Amino acid sequence: MTLAYAAIIAILAGCGIYMILAQNLVRIILGVSLLAASANILIFLSGRVNSEVPPIIPSGAEALADTAANPLPQALVLTAIVIGFSLTAFAAALAVKAYRSLGTLDTDEMLDAEALGAPFPVPAASKTVAAKTEG
Amino acid sequence: MLTEDTLSLVILIAFLGATLSFFILPRVGKASGVVAALLPGSLFVAFVSVLPDFSLGEGLHSVEQTVSWVPSLGINLTFRLDGFSLLFSLLITGIGALVALYAGSYFNDKPAAYRGRFLSYILLFMGAMLGTVLSDNLMVMFVFWEMTSLISFLLIGFDSTSKAARDAALQSLVVTAGGGLALFGGLLLVGMEAGTFSLHAIILEPSLITQSPLFGVIAMLVLIGAFTKSAQFPFHFWLPNAMQAPTPASAYLHSATMVKLGVYLLARFDPLLTASSVVAGIIVTVGLITMIVAAVQALRVDGFKAILAYSTVASLGLLVTLIGLDGPVSAVGISGFIVAHALYKAALFFCAGIVIHATGAKNLGEMCGLFSRLPITAVAATLASLSMAGLPPFVGFIAKEYVLEAKLESAFATYVTFVTIMVNTVLVAIAAIVALRPFYSRRNVFQGKLLHGETPGMTTGPALLAGLGVFFGVFADIPQHFLVGPSAMALAGAPFFVSFEIWHGLTPMLGLSILMVFFGAFLVWKWDAIHAVTARWTLLDRLALEKGYFWLFDGLLSLARLSTATFQNGSMRTYVSATIAVVTGAMAYAVLAGGLFEAPGQAAFSGLLDEPLRPYLVLTTALVALGAFVAAVAQSLIIALVAVGLAGYGIAIIFMMNGAPDLALTQFSVETLFVVIVTAILVQIPTYANASTPGDTSRLDIRGGDLLLSLAFALVLFIIVLSIASKPFNPALTEYFSATSLTEAFGRNVVNVILVDFRALDTLGEIAVVAFAAIGVWGLLSAGEGAPRDSEASAQAAGLALPSIIFTSTARFFFVLMMVASLIVLFRGHNEPGGGFIGGLIASAGFAVLALALGVNMARERLVLHPFVWMGTGLVLGLVSGIPGAVINGSFLTHQWADLDLGFTTLKVGTTYIFDIGVYLTVIGGVLAFLIRVQQTMALKAPTPFTPTSSTPFSSTPSSSASGASA
Repeated sequence: MTLAYAAIIAILAGCGIYMILAQNLVRIILGVSLLAASANILIFLSGRVNSEVPPIIPSGAEALADTAANPLPQALVLTAIVIGFSLTAFAAALAVKAYRSLGTLDTDEMLDAEALGAPFPVPAASKTVAAKTEG
Repeated sequence: MLTEDTLSLVILIAFLGATLSFFILPRVGKASGVVAALLPGSLFVAFVSVLPDFSLGEGLHSVEQTVSWVPSLGINLTFRLDGFSLLFSLLITGIGALVALYAGSYFNDKPAAYRGRFLSYILLFMGAMLGTVLSDNLMVMFVFWEMTSLISFLLIGFDSTSKAARDAALQSLVVTAGGGLALFGGLLLVGMEAGTFSLHAIILEPSLITQSPLFGVIAMLVLIGAFTKSAQFPFHFWLPNAMQAPTPASAYLHSATMVKLGVYLLARFDPLLTASSVVAGIIVTVGLITMIVAAVQALRVDGFKAILAYSTVASLGLLVTLIGLDGPVSAVGISGFIVAHALYKAALFFCAGIVIHATGAKNLGEMCGLFSRLPITAVAATLASLSMAGLPPFVGFIAKEYVLEAKLESAFATYVTFVTIMVNTVLVAIAAIVALRPFYSRRNVFQGKLLHGETPGMTTGPALLAGLGVFFGVFADIPQHFLVGPSAMALAGAPFFVSFEIWHGLTPMLGLSILMVFFGAFLVWKWDAIHAVTARWTLLDRLALEKGYFWLFDGLLSLARLSTATFQNGSMRTYVSATIAVVTGAMAYAVLAGGLFEAPGQAAFSGLLDEPLRPYLVLTTALVALGAFVAAVAQSLIIALVAVGLAGYGIAIIFMMNGAPDLALTQFSVETLFVVIVTAILVQIPTYANASTPGDTSRLDIRGGDLLLSLAFALVLFIIVLSIASKPFNPALTEYFSATSLTEAFGRNVVNVILVDFRALDTLGEIAVVAFAAIGVWGLLSAGEGAPRDSEASAQAAGLALPSIIFTSTARFFFVLMMVASLIVLFRGHNEPGGGFIGGLIASAGFAVLALALGVNMARERLVLHPFVWMGTGLVLGLVSGIPGAVINGSFLTHQWADLDLGFTTLKVGTTYIFDIGVYLTVIGGVLAFLIRVQQTMALKAPTPFTPTSSTPFSSTPSSSASGASA
C-alpha cells in the first residue's frame, strides 16, 4: 500500500503546485490546501502505516498493543489539519479583500507596488564613467 | 612623562579632545585653528619629552601599558611605544598641530560650523592614527586602522556638494576598507597561528608564522591590506583622486601620515614577511612598479596637487621597495626617508594650498611669477623642493644617500638600483618644477588679483617644515640620535650604531646623486616637450586598475538591475515558479547525492512493491487523485472547490482505515467547514479563472511550463517518500508514549494525551495561531468595507435564510444534537477517540448548519458571547491549566491529577480536562469568527465598480441563491 500512498502524496503535491502556479488567487488558495493535505499524509506515512488498530490502550493493559497504529504522527497531523484550515481561511479572506480593493483576482494585474517605479534611478555614476572611459 | 601608567592616556586625551572639539570649535570663531592646534601640540610636547629615553645611546627602549578590555578573546588595550612608533607619533602630532593651524586660516572665509567640523575630523583622525601606531594588540590596531579609512572618507568627501568629491571619497573607502577586510583576515590568521594578538610577541617568535602552512595566505592578505592603504600598484589610483579633499586634509592624510600606515604595517611585519624570498620579491616588485607608474603619471598631469600626489605614490613605492630589502641600512633608509618625505611633502602641499587658495587656479600652467606676491610661500616651497630633490645640505639628501646605499648593498639585482635612479631623477625634476613654475617662471605673469594673501596661520606650517628640512640636514646628529636612530633600532630589533651623516666620503652613492641631479635638470629643461609627449600616452590609463574598479561597480549595479528585472518583474507567478524550481532542484540534488538509489535502498524499494494492496483503499486513493486532478484543471472555481473537498473526504477515509479515527474525525469536520466558508467567499467573487472571458467549462486549458514543473516536483517527492518508507523505522518515541501515556498521564487515547499533555505547550501555541488567524480575518473583512452594523446585518442576514421549511425546522434539532455530541466527544477524548479539537470542530459545524438554515445572525445569537470572548476564554483556560504544574512540579503544563471520591466510585480528574476545554473553546471561537465574518460580508453588495461581468451560474449552490435574494 505504501506505493499507493506515495503516489497519492505526489499527485496531491503536483496538483497543488500546478494550482499554486495559476494566476487566480482562489485557485492558489485551493492549491495550498492540496499541498497541505499532501504534507499531512506524508507525515502520517513517515510514522509507518501498517495497522488498522487505533492507538488506544485497551482496558486492562498498561501500554499500547504492538499492533496499534503509531500515535505520534497522528498527533502532529491533527494540529496541522486545524492550522492548515486557519491558513486557508485567512488566505481566503485576503483574497476577498484584494478583490474588493483592486477589482481583480489575477496576480499578474496586482501591480500597485510595481507602479511606484524602480527603487532608484539609473545611477549617474555609470554615465560619468562612460564619459571617462571614452574620453 | 609618558610611562607605563600614562601611555593610554594619550589615546584617551586625543579622542576626548576630538569629541569635545565638535562642540567647542564652532564657538571660538576665527581662533578655532589655534585652539584646535593645542591638542596635537600638547601631545607633541609630551612625545618630545620622552625623546632622551629613546636616544641612540640608550639602546632599545620601549614603554608598554595594558588595559584589560576583552580578556576572554585575548583582546586587551595594549599600547606600546618604541622608537618606530615614536617617530610616527611625532609626525602625527607635530604635523597635526601645523595642519590645524593651517586649516584654521585656510577656511578663514568659511562659516565657523564648517571650519569647526573640518578641524574636529582632523583631530579625530589624529587620535585614530596615534591609536594605530601605538597599539600592540593587532585587533585593537585594526579598529584604529579602519577608523582612519572612515575619517579619510569623510575628509575626501568634505565638500559634500561636489559629486567628484563624493565619488573620490567612496572610491578611497571601497579600496582601503576592502583592503582592510583582507588585512583583518590576515591578522586573525596571524593571531590563530601565533596564539596571541600581541604584535610585539609575534615578532619575537616569527617562526610560528613563517613555518605555518597558512603563511602564504597570511602574507597575501597582509600585503593587500598594506598595498591598498599605501596606494601601491595596482591599487594606487585612489590616492590621486583623493586630492578632491581640501588641501589641509591632503597634506595631513594623503602625504604625511595615513598613506604611510601601509609602510608602517609592512615594516612591523618585516621579520615575518621577508623571511620568504618570494614575499620579499613581491614587495620589491610591487614597490618598483608603483614607482615607475607613478613617475610616468607625474610627468603627464597638470594639476599642482595631482603632480604632488603622484610623487607621493612614487615615494611610497620607494619605501615599500626598501622594506623588501635586507640589511640594517634599509632600516636607516626607511626611517630617514619617512622623516625627510613628511617634512618636504607636507610643506609642498601647504604651499600648493596657499597658491591654489590665492589664485583660484589648480593647474601649474596657470600659475606664474608669484614670488613677489607670496614671498614666504615661495621660499618655503623652494627649500622643501631642494630637500625633495636631494641636494645637500638638506635632510632629503642624507635620506636619499642611505636609500641608495641600502639598494646597492642588497642582494637584489641591479635593476632595483636602476629603477630607483630613474624614478629619483623624475622626482628631482618634479621638485624643480613645483618650485620654479608657480613662483619664478616669467612666461606669463599671473595678472589677476589674488583672492587671498599670505597669512601667518598658513605660512607657519610650510616655513617651519621647510626650515626643519635644512636644520636636520645641517645638524644631522639630532635626527640621528633622536628620530632616525631609535626608529631604525626598533625596526632592526637590535641596538646598533646608526650613522646618519651628510658626508661620508667619495662613495658610489654620491656619484649617483650627482648623476640624478644632472638628469633631473635635463628633464626640467625639456619638461614641456616631455609633458606633451607623455600626455598622449594612454596605455597607462587603459591598464590602470581604476577601470577595473569602475567596471566592478557598474557591473554590480547592472547585475542588480538585471536580477531585479528578471526575478523581481512584478509577476508573482515568476517568483513562485522560481522558488518551486529551486526547491525541486535542491530536493533532486538531495535524492541524487544522498545515495538513495544505492543498496540496501534498492532491496527496500522492491520490498515496497511486494506489499499487498487493499482494494477499497486503492479505490479511495483513486478518488483522492481524481479530486486533485479535477481541481487542477477545472475552469470553474466552484467545481475546483468541490473537487478539493472530495479529495479531503477521501483523505479522511484513508485516515479512518489506517487506525487514525481522531484524524478522520478532524478531517471530516474541517473539510465541511472549509467548503462552507469558501463557498461563502466564492459568491462574492468571479468564479471563473478568467473574469473577463467567462468561458467554456468543457475546454481544458493546460499551462505547459507549469505542468512540467509540477510533474518534476511530484516525481522527486514520490522518490523521496519511497526512500523514507524504505528506511528502517526508529520506534523509540512511539514506545515511550505508548509506555507512559497511561502510567504517567492517565489517558488511554495516546493521540489525545500527546496533544494535551506531552506536547501541551505546542498545542497551546497552535490554538493561539488559530485565534490570531481568526482575529486577522475579522479585521481584514471589516476594514474599510463598512461591515454591516448589527441592525443592518440582521436585516440582511434574515434575507439570507434559506426558504426551505424542512431545513429550517430540522436545523435547530441538528444544532442541539451536534452540540451534545461535541461535548461527549470532548470529555471522552482522553480515553477514546475525540478531544478538544474534534469537539470544537463538531460544535462549529453545528453553528454552521444553524447559520445556513436560519441566517448568520441566528448563529451569532446562539453563540451569546462574541467569538473573541470564546477564544480568549479558551486561551486563558489553556494557560491556567498549566499553572498547578508550574507551582507543584516547577514545570509549566505538567498536568496534575487527583482522585475525586464520589461515594459510589472514585473519579480521576486532572488539569488536562481544563486544557482540553480551552482547546475546545478556542476552536469554536476561531472557526465561528471566520464563519460569521465571511457570511456577514456575503450579505454585502459587491462594490459597484468591480461587479463581475460574468454571468456565473450560481443556482447549483444554496448560498448563491441566498446572495441572489439579497441583491
